[in-house]
Amino acid sequence: MNTAEKRSGLRGWLDRRYQLSPLLDFLQHKEVPLGSHWMGWYYLGGVTMFFFIVQVVTGVLLLMYYQPGEATAYESIRFLTTKVPFGWLIRSVHSWSAHLMIISLVLHMFSTMMLKAYRPPREITWVSGFFLFALTMGFGFSGYLLPWNKLAYFATTVGTNIVASIPLLGDWLLQVLRGGHDVTINTLYRFFAAHVVILPLAFVAIIGLHILLIQRQGMAPPLGARVAPRGMKFFPSFALRDLLLWLACLMVLAALAVFLPYGPGIPGMDWELGEKADPFAPAYPGIKPEWYFLWEYQLLKEFPPHLFGLEGPQVCLFIIGILFAIWAVIPWLDRRAYQDRSSPAFSDLAWAALLFLTYLTLMGWDIGANGAIEGLAAMQKVARVCAWWTLAAGLVVLVVRSLRYQHRWFVFSGAALLQAALHGVFGVSYLLAGTISLGLAILAIAVLNFTRSSPDERRAN
Amino acid sequence: MEKQVESASSPLTSRRHFLDLVLGASILGWLASIAYPVIRYLKPLPQTGPTGPTHLTRDEAAKLEQNQFVIVPVSGQRVIVLQSQDQLYAFSAKCTHEGCTVTYQPGQSVIWCPCHDGRFDLTGRVVSGPPPQPLVKYTAQRQPDGGIVISVEKA
Amino acid sequence: MRTGFVITGLVLAAVGLAANRGLAETKPTLSSLLTAKDKDGKPIITQEERTYFDGLNENLKGLVNEVVQKQIVTRPEHLGMLLSLELRPQKMELLLKNNCALCHSDSEIQTPEDLFSLSPKTAGTPGHMNLKDLVDDVHFQVGLSCAGCHGGDPTADFGHEFVKQWPEKDRTKKRAWVAEFCARCHSDPALMHQFNAALPTDQLAKFKESPHGQLLLVKHDDRAPTCISCHGVHGIRPAKDPQSKVFAQRVPETCGACHSNAQIMTGFTLPDGSALPTTQLAEFKKSVHGRALLERGDLGAPACNDCHGNHAALPPGVASVSRSCSICHSTNASLFDGSKHKQAFNEHNWAECSKCHGNHAIAKTNDSMLSTKSGSLCGDCHRQFASNHPECIETANYFHDTITQMDKARTTFITASEKLAQRGLDVEPIDNQLNELTDALKKSRTYIHSFSHAPFQQAAAPGQEAAKQTRALVEKARQEYKYRQVGLAVSIAWIGLLMLAVYLKLRQLET
Repeated sequence: MNTAEKRSGLRGWLDRRYQLSPLLDFLQHKEVPLGSHWMGWYYLGGVTMFFFIVQVVTGVLLLMYYQPGEATAYESIRFLTTKVPFGWLIRSVHSWSAHLMIISLVLHMFSTMMLKAYRPPREITWVSGFFLFALTMGFGFSGYLLPWNKLAYFATTVGTNIVASIPLLGDWLLQVLRGGHDVTINTLYRFFAAHVVILPLAFVAIIGLHILLIQRQGMAPPLGARVAPRGMKFFPSFALRDLLLWLACLMVLAALAVFLPYGPGIPGMDWELGEKADPFAPAYPGIKPEWYFLWEYQLLKEFPPHLFGLEGPQVCLFIIGILFAIWAVIPWLDRRAYQDRSSPAFSDLAWAALLFLTYLTLMGWDIGANGAIEGLAAMQKVARVCAWWTLAAGLVVLVVRSLRYQHRWFVFSGAALLQAALHGVFGVSYLLAGTISLGLAILAIAVLNFTRSSPDERRAN
Repeated sequence: MEKQVESASSPLTSRRHFLDLVLGASILGWLASIAYPVIRYLKPLPQTGPTGPTHLTRDEAAKLEQNQFVIVPVSGQRVIVLQSQDQLYAFSAKCTHEGCTVTYQPGQSVIWCPCHDGRFDLTGRVVSGPPPQPLVKYTAQRQPDGGIVISVEKA
Repeated sequence: MRTGFVITGLVLAAVGLAANRGLAETKPTLSSLLTAKDKDGKPIITQEERTYFDGLNENLKGLVNEVVQKQIVTRPEHLGMLLSLELRPQKMELLLKNNCALCHSDSEIQTPEDLFSLSPKTAGTPGHMNLKDLVDDVHFQVGLSCAGCHGGDPTADFGHEFVKQWPEKDRTKKRAWVAEFCARCHSDPALMHQFNAALPTDQLAKFKESPHGQLLLVKHDDRAPTCISCHGVHGIRPAKDPQSKVFAQRVPETCGACHSNAQIMTGFTLPDGSALPTTQLAEFKKSVHGRALLERGDLGAPACNDCHGNHAALPPGVASVSRSCSICHSTNASLFDGSKHKQAFNEHNWAECSKCHGNHAIAKTNDSMLSTKSGSLCGDCHRQFASNHPECIETANYFHDTITQMDKARTTFITASEKLAQRGLDVEPIDNQLNELTDALKKSRTYIHSFSHAPFQQAAAPGQEAAKQTRALVEKARQEYKYRQVGLAVSIAWIGLLMLAVYLKLRQLET
């Protein structure tokens, strides 16, 4: 008799038909690496998934009342949030969960960078995660248009305009994306299809791959940490802790939905329904895209109309494309992690990316403008204030990293801070500052490589 | 919150028991606190719209003249208005069998439901077929200015 | 012998050349004017002026050539100035055919009083001698140019018959004939209708009846205004043209040019004998009407002429004030006419609207005017003049209390509605009721002018009802918010309980 038949009850019944035993055994023995590292990082992926589940549930509920259409999109959401019992709650939770999902996704991604979880055999996990990140941005962008209010309309116009800068395919892509030359109700229909069917299917497929790989390969122990011989059992220890955290997130979501139903009131994170979209009304001043797109929006503004014979936006898109491409292939770029050696350069790269994005996002928010956002003087003031904030944050990060974690590699984050300083404090153009910083960074790396006589692990902390 | 169980026999089991109870109860309570808003949310709101006596529009009156019957909305319900030998009748157009919309055959003076061949006479009574109940009657009145008003028949 | 011939020939040639050059110098040509250079070698006619000239059609170029040939325009500076106007072809043609204007714009031959310049202030010429105004003048544009008023023949070289009749800016010269002179054309319907069928032709008749006309024509006081005082003389534009002196927004300053000047207005009195005030313009600028017209540009707001008339310019007597206010404020006027105040005011011979609201310094009305405390409008007047009607004090109190209550309710509810909207509640029904309240409030404030309980009550009742409804709706929204908070507390409690249970279970499983 095989062990399956010995089990009784429901489990035995299922087991005899589906052969659950191998799966259940696997689950019982699945472990999460324990050691000198902080366990907390391992929860972030699950939290992101939790927010995604909330999105799916609330999204399906919203779908019961939402009607895409010129005369019905805005009106159905107004009806939903005012007349339908708890409609306000469902919409508010859906909006908050979207933003929180992106925040936790970014934290999850950075933790993976810190722990070098992308090293072999987990390269595909990283790449699939990269695609999940892209899909989440797509979710945010497509969902934003669905209320068909003024804010969404203009944000979408500005956002989709960028596509036209892509050489050769740009115009075709723009028309396919928009369902025409301009943003019209046809754009809404396409975005609706994308948001509700295309992206969810793609997302579920890729997250399936992502999780499958994690189950197959186990969770990555961080590089350089002392790993205990026995990890924490996933079921029930880690799972229950995970559940605890998810419940806490749910509590936070509920409270936010009741007390801040339209968001924290920061531009780019404000979803008060406002007025219905009117293509013939002028865009109102101070309009901004969502906060997670602000860095691209600001970066585009820093490019001159023409550069190297190409249009400014084209060069900017090209550079953004290169940055993303680098980010996608990090597992293969990080030779040291590949060999299971400590890779402080890439930890620093993660911090550099964070500071780089922070500086641009702060400027995109016009921090320090105090009302006046027109004119060169105002822009310089904004750049200066944001640069000081970024430098302050960078300093804190530097201190914490060097004291608490004994990091010594600061070339990339130094370059990012240098760019902020040159642009904001000394008034150098953003692109020139970037080129100088990058150049100096490359120089520094070259010098470090040549002065280092032998691969010395202890020095490269 | 956890009570200190002082049972001498098996403190561990009874404590575990209690904890499981608390766990189960809190899971149920939590699910209820999620289910309650979702259920309230999913239940549709009552139909709003004009209530009370309904005047036939010009298009509807024209159709009535042309086809001897027309189906109009009255307080959110479908109502069939028909005329036979200069007499106006109005009934609920929702067949009492499975809810299909009935039609009127002028030649035969029956209200007929095509779904399962149910037939009603001009008093609304079932003449043949599966419908279990007669059609609800409405009052149709011709106004002095030529318009037609449909209202719910007073009992 | 041969030498003698050569010498004579050379002398003759020299004389001939000199004479030629001299002749050439005395008769400039168009091309020589266009290419002339100043002492520094720079061309006098600028590039823009040259471009304008080159763009003229053949006819106009021919006309320019003609005036140069006829030596009406002899200097490149003069030609340049005319070209710099950059006139449309029709206007340029009118100008070029008008010898008067051409001659009188030549600064070399005219005295400052007679010179038309581009900017009189800098040229030291009188303000009415503005060349730019002249070419914009409505008379000039329909072909009635200088000769039409001044006489003479514009195609001839010289014509100055009327000049002696036109005094300089000295106001002591006789000007009473000006009105009759303009009326030669402007009171002739057949003539005027050839140009503009919509223009009135009764200005002189009205003017003769007005105090301005009486002053000028009967009392022969030359301080009085004539047509040109308000309409200007060389730059007359239609009243709809924003640059016209009688454009609605400019009327106050045109009237105020005399009426705010204490020196000009000395000696004039009101019917009761007191001096005619000169504060009207200042007061008007601060008033509701003045700010609407002058600051917001609302052309529906009245200027001086909308109440006082323009050519008739009657000072408002008691009856005419209420009539001029009632043109726009008809509801208030008809309510007032049906009220007790009408008879009372007539008995006292008080001006109806302006007794309470003022005439020039009409300020935004204030609910405190209604109260009966000392220092308030209704209270003070009634205590002084109607102390035998105590019930009126009670009515005034009723008005005041009702309105201030509604107003306070409105502002409170607007704030509440905004706060509720921020909290994510549905404020559309509240805002709808608030609109009704606002409307009723406006209507109530109008119905005060009935000075009677019943009509006011009719206007105010919907407002009070709306206020009640709004209060109920605001309360309902607040309850909904509390319900949400309670719901949140309950769900947090359950989640918290669940979290605690999970935590304990975890501890239990791991120990």
